[in-house]
Amino acid sequence: MDIENNKKMEEILNSLDGCQRAGAPDFFYTRLKAKMEKGLEPSTAQSWVLRPVYAVAVLLVVLLINAVVIFNNNNSSFEEKASVDTEVFQSIAAEYKLNDNNTLYDLNQDK
Amino acid sequence: MNEQELIQGLRNADETAFKYLVDTYKDRVFNTAIGIVQNAEDAEDVAQEVFIQVFRSIKDFKAESKLSTWIYRITTTRALDLLRSRKSKKRFGIIQRLFGEGNEPVHEIPDFNHPGVALDRKENAAKLFKAIAQLPENQKIAFTLHKLEDLSYQEVSEVMKTSVAAIESLMHRAKQNLRKILEKEKG
Repeated sequence: MDIENNKKMEEILNSLDGCQRAGAPDFFYTRLKAKMEKGLEPSTAQSWVLRPVYAVAVLLVVLLINAVVIFNNNNSSFEEKASVDTEVFQSIAAEYKLNDNNTLYDLNQDK
Repeated sequence: MNEQELIQGLRNADETAFKYLVDTYKDRVFNTAIGIVQNAEDAEDVAQEVFIQVFRSIKDFKAESKLSTWIYRITTTRALDLLRSRKSKKRFGIIQRLFGEGNEPVHEIPDFNHPGVALDRKENAAKLFKAIAQLPENQKIAFTLHKLEDLSYQEVSEVMKTSVAAIESLMHRAKQNLRKILEKEKG
């Protein structure tokens, strides 16, 4: 039984012995020239990034990030924003010494 | 046209030289590619890419090896690239199916029949090719070049940039692995 199995195995392993060379298909050169003239990149070198499915996925991610940012901004309280704004204005005023103009402002008030 | 004239012609982008190159090597390139990718359409694509690459990078060919050795090296590299891209597509197809996209079923590659195998050996050769497809890349290349292209161990070693002893060892391991795979398929 083993001898028969071994014989079969050898037959399979040697089945390519004396095999003829497979010839390239007809009009191979014509198709090759056409491909070269088209200037196409080899198919295996095509970037997967350019596939529409990835482009759509990237677009969806960008839209999702936008939506999250807008949603978060709308939810933050007005007071919180106002206090932040005041702080910013005060710091700018201090930096440019705008607070010195208070006297002028007071004079105007008296009128 | 001798090899030097051919190389010079290719460097000058001479179309006659390019046609001569394609006519001389197309069957060797196609036969090597079909042995590795086991599909005629894919093998033709690989063969076309090989000649495009040869044409574009002939200026980089330093003639340290024979032109045929260089062309075989490009062919095996391109064929392996195609197998890798086929594998990643298959993996992506499985993931798509898991998420309910891509309704097309993932096709298993059908049994491959090499056109040059004699009729009475076709069944055995199909089993052997199925087993070859499961070999590690370097064993697959060594086995294909030696068995299908009838290259000597010396020539295979030049294509694979290794020693003859390393090729002997690769071939020995390839045969051992093929036996194991065939035993498993049978049982």
